[in-house]
Amino acid sequence: MTAALIGFALVLVLVLMRMPIVFAMGLVGTFGFAFERSGSLFDAWGLNAAMSMVGRQIIDTAQSYGLSVVPLFILMGLFVNKSGMARELYAVSNAFLGHMRGGIAMATVAACGGFSAISGSSLATAATMSKVAMPEMRRYGYSEGLSTASIAAGGTLGILIPPSVILVIYGLMTETSIGKLFMAGIIPGALGILFYILAVRFTVWRNPDAGPAGPRFNWRERLGALRSVWAVLLLFVLVIGGLYGVFDVYPIYLTFSPTEAAGMGAMGAFLIALSRGGLTLSSTFEVLKDTALTAAALFSVLIGAQIFSNFVNLAGLPEALIGIVTYYDVPPYAVMMMILLIYIVLGCVFESLSMLLLTVPIFFPLVTELGYDPIWFGIVVVVVTEISLITPPVGLNVFILKGVVGNVTTGTIFRGVTPFWIADLFRLALIVLVPWLVLVLPENMGAMGH
Amino acid sequence: ADYTLTISSWAPPTHNINAKMWPKFTEMVEEATDGRVTTDLKLGLAPPPAQMDLIQDGAADLSIIFHGYQAGRFVTTKLIELPGYTGSAEEASVAYWRAYDKYLSNADEHRGVKVVAMHTHGPAQLHTADKVESIDDISGLKLRVPGGVGGDVGEALGATGIKVPAPKVYETLASGAADGVVMPVDSRQGFKLTEVAPHLYEMPGGFYRGSFAFIMNEGSFQRLPEDIRTALEEEVFGEPISREIGKIWDAGDQQSLELTKEAAGNTMTVASEADQAKFEEISSGIIDEVITQVGETGVDAEAAYEMLSSELSAD
Amino acid sequence: MRSLLHAVRKLDRIPILVACAALFALMAMTFFDVILRSTFNAPIEAATELTRIFVAVMVFAVLPHVSVGNHHISVDLTDGLFRRYRLERVRDGVILIASGVMLIWPVQRIVVLAERTRSYGDVTEYLAIPQFYIMWFIAIGTGIAAASMVIAGVLKLAAPHLLGDDAQ
Ligand code: NA
Ligand code: NA
Repeated sequence: MTAALIGFALVLVLVLMRMPIVFAMGLVGTFGFAFERSGSLFDAWGLNAAMSMVGRQIIDTAQSYGLSVVPLFILMGLFVNKSGMARELYAVSNAFLGHMRGGIAMATVAACGGFSAISGSSLATAATMSKVAMPEMRRYGYSEGLSTASIAAGGTLGILIPPSVILVIYGLMTETSIGKLFMAGIIPGALGILFYILAVRFTVWRNPDAGPAGPRFNWRERLGALRSVWAVLLLFVLVIGGLYGVFDVYPIYLTFSPTEAAGMGAMGAFLIALSRGGLTLSSTFEVLKDTALTAAALFSVLIGAQIFSNFVNLAGLPEALIGIVTYYDVPPYAVMMMILLIYIVLGCVFESLSMLLLTVPIFFPLVTELGYDPIWFGIVVVVVTEISLITPPVGLNVFILKGVVGNVTTGTIFRGVTPFWIADLFRLALIVLVPWLVLVLPENMGAMGH
Repeated sequence: ADYTLTISSWAPPTHNINAKMWPKFTEMVEEATDGRVTTDLKLGLAPPPAQMDLIQDGAADLSIIFHGYQAGRFVTTKLIELPGYTGSAEEASVAYWRAYDKYLSNADEHRGVKVVAMHTHGPAQLHTADKVESIDDISGLKLRVPGGVGGDVGEALGATGIKVPAPKVYETLASGAADGVVMPVDSRQGFKLTEVAPHLYEMPGGFYRGSFAFIMNEGSFQRLPEDIRTALEEEVFGEPISREIGKIWDAGDQQSLELTKEAAGNTMTVASEADQAKFEEISSGIIDEVITQVGETGVDAEAAYEMLSSELSAD
Repeated sequence: MRSLLHAVRKLDRIPILVACAALFALMAMTFFDVILRSTFNAPIEAATELTRIFVAVMVFAVLPHVSVGNHHISVDLTDGLFRRYRLERVRDGVILIASGVMLIWPVQRIVVLAERTRSYGDVTEYLAIPQFYIMWFIAIGTGIAAASMVIAGVLKLAAPHLLGDDAQ
């Protein structure tokens, strides 16, 4: 256990020296593994064993069938960006909500939620929505703080509302059903939209000038806008509906597994973008290239995480933690509180994926040993990960907004985000206290198939 | 204990491989060595096809391999996968070890590691979402089948093969992407087939059997003192452990059968005499083909097949 | 020297094109597999093994580009500190060299494992493609990544003017 803790500290040091996470975890994991096998860091036999483990990890992760969803969901999101669907989603929610005080910010949150249903990444959701919603909120005199914050927070929903790359990775790391994880994300995601809308209301109640009312739309205009989101609905229904056997009816019998859903979604988004003239040969190439680069970076970091996690596993850290908890008879809820606290603290500095990779191998065995549901824990981990994206000092979604918008300070955005961050804590508490909210959909899912 | 052997394993923690077989192995090792040797089970170090490399290079001391995961590497192991043998997993595992010891080991397919046990699960049967009444109903179904003999049998029966890794079986069936799966009865519990494939169609002797081995790092074995090595060779490795593992596979089948009887909407159909005869005819081509393939590796395939058949015949 | 680097950057387009092709093929194959299975009961039986191969080709074709182009996931928490003391260039150079050197051993091992696999005759299930081809592809991709990182690191320390902004 001591070895694992030293290893963990070393990884942190290397990562803070800005060594890419894959190399930090890979290096420490390799020597740690050799140490655990031979009792020495430089024993030739131990290093030989560790090297074989590393070599196989590189070979097998690269050829993982389950991981093929990752590039396909990224690809789907990037094709969606080229198809104008973000603008349509925004237009619809604005037609319904825009006339209220703070309404355009609420519409932004709702549109982020809708976009999350066809995008697997929070950063992509925030980046896309900022291009659409920011100019509108500026036009109607919304404060910089509220407008950037609603996009930064709304964007975090991308990894909770299915599809979600982070849920896929959690599922693969823990051998939990990806189909069930996706199902489990829906209600907490909807709660996210609701709570963020309340955060907007709170902001404009405190300072009415932050979000003046926009123009009111009549019902004909609203229904007109609603008609334009067919593509978003089509794509969502294709991916999520297909997963749960919605089309398994006469005469098509169209069904697919999570892995295939990603391919269907990517192809669907590609065809929609193509039919709308949003794609040229060179922009298709750019989309494919960006996807390949992102996916390769993700695969690399996963390989590093696996190597490190094998060292932690061999060193017996999960068993040691379980041992401590059992020995001192710590009640499960106290352990869970500790874990949540650790996540919120880590969330200050870590971005979503690194946090997941570092912590899940250590906490997951402990949490399941204590009797918590693995699907529920996955959603909890994703919600704390979402929170980390808007927690100072390092909040990636805030940085994305800063990057896209330009002349606004991160301080302004973080201040604007505060009500949303507090709303997130309430949502987290609700999910922890009422696991039913997470589990009701996946538990009743079996009935839907056959 | 003086020596702790690290076991690398891959199935889910609740699977019989990890919940019963490795504990049984450990119990036998501890007993044979008066507690001087024990084990430490580690899950998820690497996916199944990586296990042999891991053991060969000492990343762990022991592991379990499923021969069907490495197409091209293991040919002689197809002999035990053939349909047509009767007999429990225990009897089949004992016969398999003997045939391995006498004939199949000559092909040296496990070179680089020490073979500790050879075993097979119970006869694989057909589990489907919609009830199958006769062998003709199988034609046209989309079935999840393994590689090797299981795949050949599925094809010969006219089914469309769906290839997904075992942990994805539940989702694949739940989503309707496959109509059924050919697996040992044991998996009805482990993979929750009672929920997604309630109907069991049983062919006496099964559609195929899966071939497994326990393997060990040669250096890890050599480093043990001589008296321990002797004790392990005599009391654990080889036939004794193969037999015990076979028993566990059988108990798993039994447990799943009872679960199936209790589970709502689950049915069991045993193939009629006519269907059995038909299946025998269909599978004879596959048997000849496999014996030829095994013969090409230089081992006496006919003799090995005879040995397995005679030890595993109904009478 | 400058024109050599220019040529290397042009060459870099080839593996990127290979990765794009593999990704597009993966998408199209998954789509047609589902459609063919659902409508004609005729799935692409080799789809699973082709999926594995396409993913590996995509990842390892672009790995050198990812490694040198600063696309690896890292934590930039201390960037301000390094910038204040003007240590960014030294830090980046040292990390590139160290990371590249670190990859030498895994590359060697993958070659050993590939040759071992060749000696056992492992092939894919349906198409009987020898597994060692894929392993060699992985070894070469990782090897080029290692070499490029070391070269980029040395240039960053010794001749930063040669690395234009487009390398970042
Ligand atoms: Na999403
Ligand atoms: Na943060």
